[in-house]
Amino acid sequence: MSTSKKTTRKKTTARKKKTTARKKTAARKKSPAAKKPARTPRTTATPGTTTPPSGTPPAARPAAAGSTGGTAGIRVRMYRVGFGDFFLLTVRAPDGTPRHILVDCGVHAANLGSIGAAIDQLAIDTGKQLALVIMTHRHADHISGFGTGAAAFAGFTVERVWMSWFEDPSDPAATNFPANITALAGKLQQSLAARSDEVGQQLFNMAENITGAAAVGGGNAAALATLHGGFKNKAPVDYYQAGDVPTLPDSLVQAGLTAQILGPPTDPALVAQMDNKPQQYLAATGEENAPPMRFNRVFTADASRYPPDAFAVFSPDEIAKHISSNQPDLLAAQAAKADNTINNQSLIVLFTFGGKKLLFAGDAQWGNWDNFLFGGAVVGDDTPLTANSKTILGSLDFYKVGHHGSTNASPIPAVNAMRDGCVAMCSTQPGAYGSVKNNSEVPRGPLIDALEKKTKNQLARADQVEVLNYPVDPTLESLPAIFTKDDTKGYIDYET
Amino acid sequence: MQNASSARAAAARPGPEPPADLFAPSTSFDPPAKRPLRVYAFDPTLGRVLGNNLVIEVNYEPLQPGPVGERFAVVDYDGSTKSFYAPVDLDNPNLLLRDGLDPTESDPRFHQQMVYAVASETLRRFEAALGRRVHWRPPPNGKHGANRLYLFPHAMVQANAFYSPDAHGILFGYFRAGSVVDAQIVPGQTIFTCLSHDIVAHETTHAVVDGIREHFTEPTNIDVPAFHEAFADLAALFRHFSHREALLDTLQRTGGRLYTTNMRADAPGSSTEPVIQSEIAPDNPLIELARQFGQVSGLHAGLRSALGTPANTQDLKTTIEPHARGAILVAAVFDAYFSVYLQQTADYFRVFRAGGGSDQPVDLPGPLANLLAADASRIAELFFSVCARSLDYCPPVDVTFGDFLRAIITADIDLFPSDSYGVRDAVMQAFRSRGIVPEGAQFFSEDALCWPKVRSPTETPPGPLPAVSGLLFGDPNGLTDDEKNVNGDLLRAYARANATALGFDQSPISVPSFHPMFRTDEDGSLKIDMVVEMVQQRKVPLDPAEPKLGTMVIRGGVTLMISRQPLRGGKRPDPEVRYAIAKHLGGTHDNLQRAAYVAQGFTDGTGANARINFGLLHGI
Repeated sequence: MSTSKKTTRKKTTARKKKTTARKKTAARKKSPAAKKPARTPRTTATPGTTTPPSGTPPAARPAAAGSTGGTAGIRVRMYRVGFGDFFLLTVRAPDGTPRHILVDCGVHAANLGSIGAAIDQLAIDTGKQLALVIMTHRHADHISGFGTGAAAFAGFTVERVWMSWFEDPSDPAATNFPANITALAGKLQQSLAARSDEVGQQLFNMAENITGAAAVGGGNAAALATLHGGFKNKAPVDYYQAGDVPTLPDSLVQAGLTAQILGPPTDPALVAQMDNKPQQYLAATGEENAPPMRFNRVFTADASRYPPDAFAVFSPDEIAKHISSNQPDLLAAQAAKADNTINNQSLIVLFTFGGKKLLFAGDAQWGNWDNFLFGGAVVGDDTPLTANSKTILGSLDFYKVGHHGSTNASPIPAVNAMRDGCVAMCSTQPGAYGSVKNNSEVPRGPLIDALEKKTKNQLARADQVEVLNYPVDPTLESLPAIFTKDDTKGYIDYET
Repeated sequence: MQNASSARAAAARPGPEPPADLFAPSTSFDPPAKRPLRVYAFDPTLGRVLGNNLVIEVNYEPLQPGPVGERFAVVDYDGSTKSFYAPVDLDNPNLLLRDGLDPTESDPRFHQQMVYAVASETLRRFEAALGRRVHWRPPPNGKHGANRLYLFPHAMVQANAFYSPDAHGILFGYFRAGSVVDAQIVPGQTIFTCLSHDIVAHETTHAVVDGIREHFTEPTNIDVPAFHEAFADLAALFRHFSHREALLDTLQRTGGRLYTTNMRADAPGSSTEPVIQSEIAPDNPLIELARQFGQVSGLHAGLRSALGTPANTQDLKTTIEPHARGAILVAAVFDAYFSVYLQQTADYFRVFRAGGGSDQPVDLPGPLANLLAADASRIAELFFSVCARSLDYCPPVDVTFGDFLRAIITADIDLFPSDSYGVRDAVMQAFRSRGIVPEGAQFFSEDALCWPKVRSPTETPPGPLPAVSGLLFGDPNGLTDDEKNVNGDLLRAYARANATALGFDQSPISVPSFHPMFRTDEDGSLKIDMVVEMVQQRKVPLDPAEPKLGTMVIRGGVTLMISRQPLRGGKRPDPEVRYAIAKHLGGTHDNLQRAAYVAQGFTDGTGANARINFGLLHGI
């Protein structure tokens, strides 16, 4: 028993070291990865070609008009599907041909039913040729389209697929964890289904987001199956963590695109949890178990058996009330924790193309950002942003707003550090989660306001375009002129 | 005849009463000083070995069924069955004669006895170290009268136990163990958190600390939740060293090296894997917390690894989770403890070796083990007292690990200037090697780490803080209501009058608490001080650039140590402020609070009265 414990400890330290090495990309290769040399970077299929040296200025290319972008040759297309992410990044190669990157394709809460049509549109937009598919994290609102649209995606040719290191099937610790958390979410779902209150319903959605609604296209498992091998060709899958040097598909290398992986971090706490017996994580729910054995009922008594002094502060009824109200809503805590955990596994990718920097942050929440912004804990007098994050945020041209504009996904230091006039897109649909009353509505009003100010009013929200029978809320501000939209096909474009 | 009759008459006549005998023995009975009660020294998993069946000598007080005493009321209400369990009557003669009920998992009345005994003992240790009575935070309904803290041994079905200021008590959960657990737990058996000595001590410590300081549990920086967890763990851990039998056994099994995490097995291994029970090298129970709970919940693994990890300055920078971060602080204090233990016992080992003893002893002779045990528990007591006293030397809000270090050093210098055990030196080294450095300290030396002394108003030129004339110290039993009223008005007026010198601005200053302390210093003389908290609060925008995002409350304040002066020329000079330990509003302090607030993801929209929710912190 004790020997096994020691090995786990070693593993954790080894990972920790990797996290520190993250800042120095050059040093990474030397980092002692004796146990798992495949970590940096790992690929399930054939390894890709060379990685372009980051920072190489892209070759000058003629400006061209049309759907493949503006002067820089970049177009970001956001499809309106409800509460979910479906982004297509298109860059123009020197020969003028468009190269496509799909970042997530899913919807969960507030599903508008438009994702099928949007996938058909994607097929037309891309000619069923995708250079790269990125799955930021395994939440239904980011991947469900790969399940429901599995038939359509089977016709797509994909050069590469990127996921976070948590998805790596060759790392037992990593695969155990999502599996456990999905199992946990399934149990939570069962318990929450019985609750009729509004909070309970939102929590149920949260849990279902993790498992994926099984009735719809086979749940998240079906979506993952598509991503792992359901395309027309057998696309190699890469698994990345913060600091890895990613392998770009040839067509994007030729186009002059570079990419950096900023997240997810290797969180020692999370890793420690994964090293534990998987059941321990689940045992915390208590719901899965039968009620504990209780005392013999001869011990049950009436409150009158206690002296009056016992009730000097609270009466028996008050005690009963306090004890029942003090039982924390474990279901809520568990659902939120499971949800956050997966959000924090989000792959954060920074693309550079034609001198423009585009940040896709998935649903990364504070922990993930914290690692990127501050290089770890917020400690010391006045924790400065890391120089790296300052440079990146300060020169950002495009930002995919994290977690659909919820409070916890775009920390204020990050918003403050962003370049004034950076363009942002937020895929969201109000009314799915949170409430204005506890300042947790999604999207969060003040955050959207702050972003609008930061972007100099260059923020597009998915609900600013019409789709199917869903018109644009007339109280919303109209789409800023920098974007274009197609109200029949239901997407918003940003071209530069 | 006549003589005889007169003698008879004299005998019959009621004579004058003989004078009362000054030294006549008392015919009533003095109440006993102690009430022995049986508890588990650790928890039920350890069975009867290792002195696990312990008898605690709790301070005697008459008890009503519950037990309900002066400071605690055990009310066994089960929130899951919505019913009460019968209370134990510890004053029943059948129980009085046998040190209470024998340890058992199946009788709730033993559980009630155990939470009462362990909580009372924990409180006693704090009061002894602090030199004053500890008051609980007043209940939310303001019923001050008999302020008993509630203990609910079976409040809920949950792998959790926590102190709740709202319920004015500690809620202990019980739950069913999962199917994959250690050999010492029956799959599916019920685990009671109230039967874990460590958990009861840990939660009682939270309640004690929350009672001492009004705003101490507001998570205003990353260290605060970690500090509370660490402090409660320390209180529980140092108690282990007073369990003599367990201590002796551990000393024997570790060859005197108390700090090793694994102990020698009973039998040498016959193959690589242990085959029989006696070949398993047991974990060192002294440096392990809440063993049974930890086995089923996977909690507290952080502590083991913190004690087992070589000291480094990196972990502090990257560890955020409160228990893991707190474990770094626990490891630092224990590092210091073991250093002092080794220094103090080095001579015993020299003598032992000189007599032909082994360099790496496997078995210790009994008398040597006794000597080591005596030293180990004495030094543990010393460390606990130093840690407990340092609470009074922390700023009233927003405590950091660095503040705690300065508080330890100051508290210790204040009472024991000579540091004959080398405690301060060991503490400084252990903290430094883990990167715990106070902000603003220029050197890592004793006098640089000690909070600066306030300049006395009697010096020339005088210090800016005048004497606090009229302050009443009462006596060690506490202050009367009248004395409290006098002091409250006086201290608030003093704060207003000296706001600038104390570092406050012109907004209102509150005085949440003042406590007289009666302590003996190293030459045994009585020191009388009063520790006073003064706090100021301000509403600030979450983001100064974006006022629309809303506001949050931040607090700053100062802890004053006011001392009664010795007689001078037949007169008693007015009390003077000796220390003013400040954490003021403005500058980096505000930004840190803001960052912590943002880091919590705007948990509470109002920002007012946000306290650590121990229920959630412990549960998951």
